[in-house]
Amino acid sequence: MKVKIKTWNAVATWRWDIPDDDVCGICQVHFDGTCPACKYPGDDCKLLSGKCGHNFHEHCILEWIKQESAKNQCPMCRQTFEWANPPHDTSLDMTQGLEGFTDNQG
Amino acid sequence: MSFATKRLGKELSKINNSLPPGIELVSADNFEEWFLDIRVLDNNPLYANQVYRLKFKFSAQYPIEPPEVVFVKLANRPIPIHPHIYSNGIICLDLLGQQGWSPVQNVESICMSLQSMLTGNNKDERPAGDEEFVRGNRLRPKDIDFYYHDNNV
Repeated sequence: MKVKIKTWNAVATWRWDIPDDDVCGICQVHFDGTCPACKYPGDDCKLLSGKCGHNFHEHCILEWIKQESAKNQCPMCRQTFEWANPPHDTSLDMTQGLEGFTDNQG
Repeated sequence: MSFATKRLGKELSKINNSLPPGIELVSADNFEEWFLDIRVLDNNPLYANQVYRLKFKFSAQYPIEPPEVVFVKLANRPIPIHPHIYSNGIICLDLLGQQGWSPVQNVESICMSLQSMLTGNNKDERPAGDEEFVRGNRLRPKDIDFYYHDNNV
């Protein structure tokens, strides 16, 4: 039996490379969602990690850090907030759904 | 929708699901003003069998800015006696001020802090200068520059 693939659609999912169920402490939205100001998650609404190990949406933590009263401290642990370099990359996850992968015989 | 609205929406759905013991939502009709009742969980004689009403006011900058939180006096809701709580309901607590606030705090965590602030107190007294302050103060709580002279209470 010969199988000829006529068409297939790859579907990729991504998520930030951090523990699954984490929410941003500032907006309380899941990290895979956006900060309240953004529409699309991903590179347009990045995460920022502190050297102290706490993560936030970049937009959320910058909103906080620009306050004088923030005194440059991490909202979680009050250590001086310095971002860890480089920020988290997205990790591709190709395991889910190769929908449209057809095995039409032809 | 503003930042504050979205964040408060999140908090409200969590609150509607469950709240820690001794904390109850009274009303949250909008995203500007909420009322909650709290009581202490131990048998501290200063607060036994009493329920206290809290009023939260949120600005559009919440949670970057702290909410304004005061006790409200009603027929069956007194103002708890405490060396950091004025008899008009204004609370002197560092985490509610610009200095001590952190945007990871939320309505629930504030209620719990206030519960423990009461639980840990054994002084049957108002702050120094209470009468004068209550008579003369026209400032909103967030504009009052409290002097945190005693961090042990």
